[in-house]
Amino acid sequence: MANFNIDSKNARTYDAIVIGSGISGGWSAKELTEKGMKTLLLERGRNVEHIKDYPTTNMMPWEFAHRERMPKAVVDANPIAASCYNFKESSAHFFAKDDEHPYIQEQPFQWIRGYQVGGKSLLWARQTQRWSQFDFDGPARDQFAVEWPIGYQDLAPWYSHVEKFAGITGNKDGIDALPDGEFLKPHDLNCVEKYFKEKVAQTYQDRHIIIGRAAHITDAKQIHLDQGRATCQHRTMCERGCPFGGYFSSNASTIPWALKTGNLTLRPDSVVHSLIYDEKLGKATGVRVLDSNTQEMIEFYAKIIFVNASALNTNLILLNSTSSRFPNGLGNDNGLMGKYVAFHNYRATVSADYDGFLDSTTDGRRPNSGYIPRFRNVYKQETDFLRGYAAGFGANRSTYNDKNGMGEELKESLSKTKYGGWHVGSHMMGETIPKESSYVALDPNKKDPFGMPMLRINIGYDDNDEKMVKDYMEQMTEMYTKAGFTNIRTHDNHRVPGNDIHEMGGVRMGKDPKTSLLNKWNQLHSVKNVFVTDGAAMTSTSTQNPSLTYMAFSARAVDHAIKEIKAKNL
Amino acid sequence: MERRTAIRQMALAAGTIVSLPTWAKGWKKADLHTTSFLNTELYQVLEVAVEAIIPETDTPGAGEIGVGAFVALMVKDCYDTAVQNNFSKGLAEIEASSKSRFNKSFSALQQSDKLQVLKSFEKGSDKDQKSFIGLLKNLTIQGYMNSEYVMTNLTHYEMVPARYHGCVPVKG
Repeated sequence: MANFNIDSKNARTYDAIVIGSGISGGWSAKELTEKGMKTLLLERGRNVEHIKDYPTTNMMPWEFAHRERMPKAVVDANPIAASCYNFKESSAHFFAKDDEHPYIQEQPFQWIRGYQVGGKSLLWARQTQRWSQFDFDGPARDQFAVEWPIGYQDLAPWYSHVEKFAGITGNKDGIDALPDGEFLKPHDLNCVEKYFKEKVAQTYQDRHIIIGRAAHITDAKQIHLDQGRATCQHRTMCERGCPFGGYFSSNASTIPWALKTGNLTLRPDSVVHSLIYDEKLGKATGVRVLDSNTQEMIEFYAKIIFVNASALNTNLILLNSTSSRFPNGLGNDNGLMGKYVAFHNYRATVSADYDGFLDSTTDGRRPNSGYIPRFRNVYKQETDFLRGYAAGFGANRSTYNDKNGMGEELKESLSKTKYGGWHVGSHMMGETIPKESSYVALDPNKKDPFGMPMLRINIGYDDNDEKMVKDYMEQMTEMYTKAGFTNIRTHDNHRVPGNDIHEMGGVRMGKDPKTSLLNKWNQLHSVKNVFVTDGAAMTSTSTQNPSLTYMAFSARAVDHAIKEIKAKNL
Repeated sequence: MERRTAIRQMALAAGTIVSLPTWAKGWKKADLHTTSFLNTELYQVLEVAVEAIIPETDTPGAGEIGVGAFVALMVKDCYDTAVQNNFSKGLAEIEASSKSRFNKSFSALQQSDKLQVLKSFEKGSDKDQKSFIGLLKNLTIQGYMNSEYVMTNLTHYEMVPARYHGCVPVKG
């Protein structure tokens, strides 16, 4: 019996544990296993194997009973998931159901979750821009949150590292506020986007319209073929899972790569309850997992633990990891864990028409769009609000059919597609300021169906966000007007925080253990063998879509962890 | 319909509740309406109306390619009870209007008379009828344009374009 217990414990002991198999966890697992670490990758949801578990991926439009619209009963039962633009008949199976995963909204917060192997990497918008030094300088220069403990130069080689493997399309634009990366060939800007780019360049020195940088293989290299991935085929059905592996996901890329090393154990249906802290050793020794199939609580052990559960769930797990040494959550000596959470402000859009280029259109489909890097307050403070916004920008040539009448007249009209004018559209992506009053916390009494304390979420807009919405509308209107666009429409959609799916912070990095939770290597200050490299680690949000930065943090932190293990510091 | 009823009755007779086995999923389109919110008569009016809105010419009409079933399914699954009730009411009024104007069932009318009935709803002053006919027409167009027949044979949908060109001349 004693031997059995030892054997059983040995069988549950690994070199490393990674919690969460989304974008950042997939990267942690890939880097660890490549460096010879026997790694356990825990995922709370079901397994999703690349291609095999993409049930809708090759369905034709007419094969969807409701032509992609979700039945009312499903929408009514899942108002949070259904608020996401990507929740439709072809992709709904990759969203967590509202009623199975309740939380408490102290303020309205639409927490969009993807609980399966691969997480939200199956559903993401695939925009991948690097941060610049201006972004890392933000909190210190503008006196909010705390100073970042690293700068662009610390992360730049790791951006290169992850970009080459993931496959990033983009153009080298040479813009200070948006450093260039390791790009595969860029997608086209279309006629009107190019025209707008030129007009803006003539008028403003510091404003640029560029093609988005996105995790699509536009020109497959050997490293992508080695992953079993091929050049993107422009289907623009990414949220179904891509049978070509044309875009980056954990499922298509990092997880199969890690499995191929022979060092990865992937364990789906494993809800992490907490990390185990050993007071004598002064470090975390493992994790407690609820097996969602058997309802059994099982412990797993490892030398190092990477927490990549997604920003808010990483907060939840660490806050729930209590011990006599850490009664308020693992590594939470200063009581700041769960606080200073922020997000991206996507509230405003500006659209218009253009009556030029009527002899031209586009051909094919593009899984990408134009992008306007941040131009406000970059070099110095110049407005009545802090920080700034990036923006998406796209133009398309509209087509339509006359739908007048009924009978043969209507049928004839439907057979003749006509060209309308060009439409342009833009949406803002604003930096929001992390504040102590923006927090997540554990409810002291209520539990979710998995026995975890329910998360209370209290995050909202502030006056800085309101000013930024106004400025974005004014500036885009001015830029559109100078380009000769007409019928300019500004719109505040009052999008609820969380719906941007860019929630960040709560376990922020910083120089000082008194005011931050993680050091410059993403280690908990007071529990050095625990690493957090997902959105929870973010000290500030900047304006860029964050996933690329989480990938780079993950790879960099693993590299450091291995060095520390070799130096016997962990 | 008879087969499904028979299965239900067999199950009831045996005193058990059974779910339909997988082989039973292959019901013909014509059988589907028994599970929708419309009764047989109204469903028939719907199928005829859909075909009248987009009729057979040298290519099939909306009725033949199953758009009636699509419209019924959409109204059942994607709209609230008020819209569903107004939709049933509208179909019943199509039938009633046919009988009062032409003394015939809607399905027995000539195409031009069918259109006259439908257009009278579109142009009339009854708000319920207007919103009913608007929904019926829009769903019919959606079902037709997104049908396998039209997307395959007429609009030549490309599942895998494998390209994007940002600026090409408009054709013809």
